[in-house]
Amino acid sequence: MASRKSLTLKSSPRRAAKKAPSRAKKPAATKAAPTSRPLVFPELHESTTSSGLKVVAAERGPLPMVSMRLVIRAGSSTDPAGKHGIADFAARLLRRGTRRMSAEDIDEAVEFVGASLGVGVGEDTLSVAITTPAEHFAQMLEVMGQLVMEPTFPESEVADARERALAQFANDLDEPSVIADRAMVRALWGDHPYGHDVSGSTKTVSTFTRDDVVRFHQERLGPKVAMLVVVGSVDPMKVAQAAEKAFAGWAGGPEAPMVIPALNRVVGAGRVVVVDKPDQTQSQVRLGGPGYRMGHEDYFPSTAMNIALGGGFTSRLMNEVRVNRGLTYSIGCWFDAMHAAGIFALSTFTKTESTREIIDVSLGEIAKVRESGVKPGELRDAQTYMSGLYPLRTETNESIAHSIADMRLNGLGDDWVVKFRDRLRAVTPKQVLAVARKYCFAEAPAVVVLGKADAVKKQLRGLGPITVVPASEYE
Amino acid sequence: MRKASPKSAPARAADPSLESLFDVHEATLPNGLQVRLLPNHQAPVVSLYTFFNVGSRNERPGITGISHLFEHMMFNGAKKYGPKMFDKTLEANGGSSNAYTSHDMTVYYDDFASDALETVLDLESDRMRSLRISQDMLTSEREVVKEERRVRMDNDIGGMMDEELGTLVYKAHAYRWPVIGWMADIEAISREDCQTYFRTYYAPNNAMLYIAGDIDPKKTLALVRRYYGDIPRGPAPLPVINAEPEQRGERRSTVRHPAQSPAVMIGYRGPSAKDEDTLALDVAQYVLTKGEGSRLTRSLVYEQKLAVGVGLDWSWRIDPGTILFFLELKPDSDPQKSEAALYAELEKLARDGITERELQKALNNLRSDHLRELGTNNGRAHAMGNYEALLGDWRHVLTLPSAYAAITGEKVKAAAAKYLIPERRSVVTLLPAPSEA
Repeated sequence: MASRKSLTLKSSPRRAAKKAPSRAKKPAATKAAPTSRPLVFPELHESTTSSGLKVVAAERGPLPMVSMRLVIRAGSSTDPAGKHGIADFAARLLRRGTRRMSAEDIDEAVEFVGASLGVGVGEDTLSVAITTPAEHFAQMLEVMGQLVMEPTFPESEVADARERALAQFANDLDEPSVIADRAMVRALWGDHPYGHDVSGSTKTVSTFTRDDVVRFHQERLGPKVAMLVVVGSVDPMKVAQAAEKAFAGWAGGPEAPMVIPALNRVVGAGRVVVVDKPDQTQSQVRLGGPGYRMGHEDYFPSTAMNIALGGGFTSRLMNEVRVNRGLTYSIGCWFDAMHAAGIFALSTFTKTESTREIIDVSLGEIAKVRESGVKPGELRDAQTYMSGLYPLRTETNESIAHSIADMRLNGLGDDWVVKFRDRLRAVTPKQVLAVARKYCFAEAPAVVVLGKADAVKKQLRGLGPITVVPASEYE
Repeated sequence: MRKASPKSAPARAADPSLESLFDVHEATLPNGLQVRLLPNHQAPVVSLYTFFNVGSRNERPGITGISHLFEHMMFNGAKKYGPKMFDKTLEANGGSSNAYTSHDMTVYYDDFASDALETVLDLESDRMRSLRISQDMLTSEREVVKEERRVRMDNDIGGMMDEELGTLVYKAHAYRWPVIGWMADIEAISREDCQTYFRTYYAPNNAMLYIAGDIDPKKTLALVRRYYGDIPRGPAPLPVINAEPEQRGERRSTVRHPAQSPAVMIGYRGPSAKDEDTLALDVAQYVLTKGEGSRLTRSLVYEQKLAVGVGLDWSWRIDPGTILFFLELKPDSDPQKSEAALYAELEKLARDGITERELQKALNNLRSDHLRELGTNNGRAHAMGNYEALLGDWRHVLTLPSAYAAITGEKVKAAAAKYLIPERRSVVTLLPAPSEA
């Protein structure tokens, strides 16, 4: 289905699933008070199992469904050197057999009742999520407990998973945006724990053995670095009881989450990486610099600024690059804030011939904001935009479970969601200018272009030292 | 305004747990615009959907892609809200908008803070009443669509294979060309083409409006009447003729591209959405590829280790659609071997049918997915519009679970035996091109 506007590029440059990019909202207009009612956020009930697992439950109807997420601080940033991708690899294998159930048993138990099981790894966390019809929730929680407490990692499953992963890396070379994103991650973070693809690479995954997986499971997964969130039409008391039963005797894992360092400097700042893919008629373009960690005080001014610059469909970048010049179908920029550090990045694409033009126009728009901030009216529109749409994030059990996990793991405070709109509305033009000076490429950004190197290299002169690498470098 | 009554529902019984969620108020304006209103006060937000009965199905050679190009043009200025003002006004009032075009329909939606309702109705009715199509806007938007075509079709393996498959499966029907259109047609579509298209297809008598969320139905309908009531009817669109001839044997095509691995895309000619076989094929789809324990995933990915992934898309369409399989393979795979393994599974399905447990599992999952779809205002409004556009009544939202419950293992087996046969098959094989390509 063809659509008019693509927002697909406005996700994080990583492969891991992330929360949706922020969109703007509107602050109180001067004339009329906003009519927005307080958000309905369910009451949180907290308990701890005898094994030490924190449980947060929130009852919510009317659909007879329950969403549960077990979030463990064992993301890709905890991958040991030489074993990049092990968290993701191990997570995929959790459902391929436990002491009591074979892979087929697990599939059958979950899928027969109409529940769905997903396992995801990001930079900071490994999560196991199950959405289920409410009447089966206790049984599904039991399965979740088995997956994390007693996976067996059969040797043959490890070998098959490795082979599938390697084939996937090869096939990824045919996905221009995936390879461009991967190149950007490396250009931004270098050797930092956030600096490798969540799923690793051909080089690292080809070395994975069953021992590596078992060691990862023993050392990284445990109740003290985990939290269970359950949202939906189920009584919180029943959640506490079912969690006690499902996670009884869970032991092991670290005492505390691993500490990930801040980002000192974007390693590719001022440099250009051209990823050569000669069959392309388009160039994928990425620009990036430093951002901030989750919970940082710059969050709200930066969010408001970003909506005006590259968030909504009327942002300066969208207007200048797409609407006025017809250079692309999609362009956007965003702050990617993770637990320990973050980045600010832009993503777009254009036909080969206009590669330099799209970079120059984008940099020009970002420079204008850096030098002058945004106009008071623009800020107000951005604030209204996001305040208006923000309640959409409280619509589903899944999105509420996500918010709860985010608030708790990053210390945002339990009033994060209900106070969000007020805090955004309080942002001033002066605060926006201050964050713009800080994050809008005061230092030259890292530049990644994936496309026909022969044709684009000469266009890129003057942007910084250019390195041309084959796409296979990112397999 | 008339309150929806389950009595007027299609033949099947409404699901009681859904009925309580669908307190729908409906009306038809004198100009033919159909309106469906669904209050839900859980959050101070509203979703508004406008469905137009026009898609690439209504196009002809020479203007392929005009429905989609036109979808873009609908954001570029009307009489009251000129160029750039649609998005600017909407966003500044706490809303956002998007749209998509399919083979059968063009769909616009707005999500917004409930206090912006009147502004949104003003914006949407303005462009339905008085869209202005300027040459400058058309020229610029054409470039945007060309970039979209490059990213979705020309530089994407799935896109290039899908485009090839369409021309194999259909010889005469408009489903033959991609929704985004051929590049040369996108270049050639004129302002006059767009104006004619607008007058014919974007009139209130060819549209349906769905508003779900934090609304008062009575006040909302009064606003709809005020903003849309004076938009004149358009001429009745020409009917689409399905001249597709019978397929008499397997059709094959090869695409060469410097890819890492071969790949296979296979399309079987299926029934139309209204045909009851469609529901049996939905069940077959779930048995074959829904979940890790589904037949094709278990067999081709986990047991025989032939594929990295197996996809199956059975999308409902107004005219007979395509049951589409996609095999993502490993480098150095033999695509014929994977194809043969797929056919063996399909033959087994047609010969032996499915087990009672597989049937129940499929029904459980169809219900869960249906409930999940109805978890948001946006999902509810879209579901009502989609079923109404394809099947003629939004109440299928309520009766779908019981419609599925009437599907038996025998019906699934019969549908597999009828549709998943070599005579209805078209196959596109992607082969990695020579290395210097």
